[in-house]
Amino acid sequence: MMEMSERLVLLLPEIIMLAGAIVVSVLGLSRGSVLRGAVPLATMATLAAALIATVLVHDPERAAAAGLPLPMLGLYGRALVASIGLLLVAVTIGSVDRRLEEAFAKGLAPFDPIRVLGGEFHAFLLFSLAGAMLVTVASDLIWLFLAIELSSLPTYIMVATSRGSRRAQEAAVKYFFLGAMSTAIMLYGFAMLYGAAGSLELLQIQAAFLGGAGETPIAVLGVLMVVIGLCFKITAVPMHFYAPDVYEGASVPVTAFLSFVPKATGMFVLMSILAAVGWSADLDSPSLPPNIEAVLWMIAALTMTLGNLGALLQRSVKRMMAYSSIAHSGYMLVGIVAGPAFGGYDAVLLYLLVYGVTNVAVFGAIASIERRGQEIDSFDDLAGLRIRHPWAAAMLALGAGSLIGMPPLLGFWGKLDLFVAGLGAGQTELVVLMAVNSAVSAWYYLRLAGPPTIAPAGPQADSIERVPSRWPLVTAVAAGFGLFLLPLVLDPISKAASVAGPPPIAAAEEAASTSAPIDPAG
Amino acid sequence: MTTSTLLAVQLDTYLPVLLIFVMAAGFAVVNIVASHLIGPRKQAAVKGMPYESGMNPIEGARKRFNVRFYILAMTFLVFDVEIIFLYPWAVTFTQLGPRSPEGVLFLGRILFFIAMSVVAYVYAWKKGVFRWD
Repeated sequence: MMEMSERLVLLLPEIIMLAGAIVVSVLGLSRGSVLRGAVPLATMATLAAALIATVLVHDPERAAAAGLPLPMLGLYGRALVASIGLLLVAVTIGSVDRRLEEAFAKGLAPFDPIRVLGGEFHAFLLFSLAGAMLVTVASDLIWLFLAIELSSLPTYIMVATSRGSRRAQEAAVKYFFLGAMSTAIMLYGFAMLYGAAGSLELLQIQAAFLGGAGETPIAVLGVLMVVIGLCFKITAVPMHFYAPDVYEGASVPVTAFLSFVPKATGMFVLMSILAAVGWSADLDSPSLPPNIEAVLWMIAALTMTLGNLGALLQRSVKRMMAYSSIAHSGYMLVGIVAGPAFGGYDAVLLYLLVYGVTNVAVFGAIASIERRGQEIDSFDDLAGLRIRHPWAAAMLALGAGSLIGMPPLLGFWGKLDLFVAGLGAGQTELVVLMAVNSAVSAWYYLRLAGPPTIAPAGPQADSIERVPSRWPLVTAVAAGFGLFLLPLVLDPISKAASVAGPPPIAAAEEAASTSAPIDPAG
Repeated sequence: MTTSTLLAVQLDTYLPVLLIFVMAAGFAVVNIVASHLIGPRKQAAVKGMPYESGMNPIEGARKRFNVRFYILAMTFLVFDVEIIFLYPWAVTFTQLGPRSPEGVLFLGRILFFIAMSVVAYVYAWKKGVFRWD
């Protein structure tokens, strides 16, 4: 067991996030509009500090002593959440409290701290990101559960307060109750895991499962319930049905947040739990219980198929992106099924980065345009967008291309890693299914890319205006450049993302031989 | 061990819990039934009056309160619960060594806890909870 002071050093990034959340929540209630306007910047400064702290406190020895099944996940996972979090905060600038701030500025309403929500929104955003970072360094089931809840609970409030409409509140209530149900299922699974392994600590559970605890029905049922509960967080099939309604009800920046942060959290937890119950990088050790592997296989196949079929039928951009998010979870589950021994985990971690950057490009572009203060949400409205908003149209097209997996863009490299991992693990049927699904998905992604860039302008195209804040578009363009530039540095990213197995000090040679980075040039 | 014996062993350990339930239910039922059967019934106007700390009640209980009371009560609750946590802390703290690392850590924890409550207070103040105009 680790010393408390050592653990506090390990948790420095999360402590910074907590301090930042406190500062932001009080700063948001300032009387001066300049101070209130500094709230998103303070949030971004906090995230930048947490990112730096993540890199600074990372130490293979400390990670190895922390009792984690995936000791190296803390560095990549936390850096990923903090970096994509920076982009997501930049997309929200100017959208929270917009009407209220305009009324204050024009002198239509006196300053009223009760009605101002910007500070709380950004504090909750930081709490949620802190939870997502915390799951990567959680060493037992209690920590893991608290970290998951820390990342989920603020998102319910963020959906409710994201815009002042009844649909947002309806979406938040749906999200909250279904989320509570999934949490209950997952917690019941945790209890059964404890019953089967006799310990809450992940390494002890790993030892118990290596000793044959995984053959009892209670262990299989426990793992199954944890997986089903986590399916809610990653919008995978038995628990995916809430996604379209919630994504549609929330404001665009919050939808972007929902499409990345809960998914990353769920994937981190799924990888840690599965590593604890048998998925290890060591081919000779006993593997997952076979029925769990079969269930994961079915979840992956159903998730990508149903997600893509649902997306084909949508007329709303946000609903389409919700189904697309379900489909991409299915792709990532291929990596989970492939397992850490064949680079599956590494492929999933790389894909989370790919998906996060691509989503920022798409949602940032949608958040940057509006009609009479209302969000643009239908494909018909996007026709001919290039004439008045060329950058937004270009980013939509680029993002769609990356989501399909077009070769020069980042999305291609993410999918390639998943394909390689799946084929290496002998999951040929799943990889074929994924290829077919990717081809099908081109149909609806091209509806996102085609009308804005090629089609003639529709009758209502002239009424589309740019939102007052420049930040969403700037962020989208930055992410769009990332889609081109990140493949050039794919080699170091893949190395950082190879987390399966012991930390480098324990097995430097093995770590070097198991990571299979892809060279974009060749 | 087969499933049936495992089940039997587990159920045996829960027997005291079952006994507690039976006793609790029995106690309640016996008391209610006995007071119905043997209790004296003398009704009077003063005796049937709602009890309000010995004063004569002045109006209906379903009165509407200003919602500010609710927020204020929540703020009070934060400090109320904090005080409750301070008592067991204070009792345990004296058992640790005067300059031991555990003692420092223990002190640090409670200071962090108090600091968090102060943050809640500052937040509530800035939010305008204590303004009554």
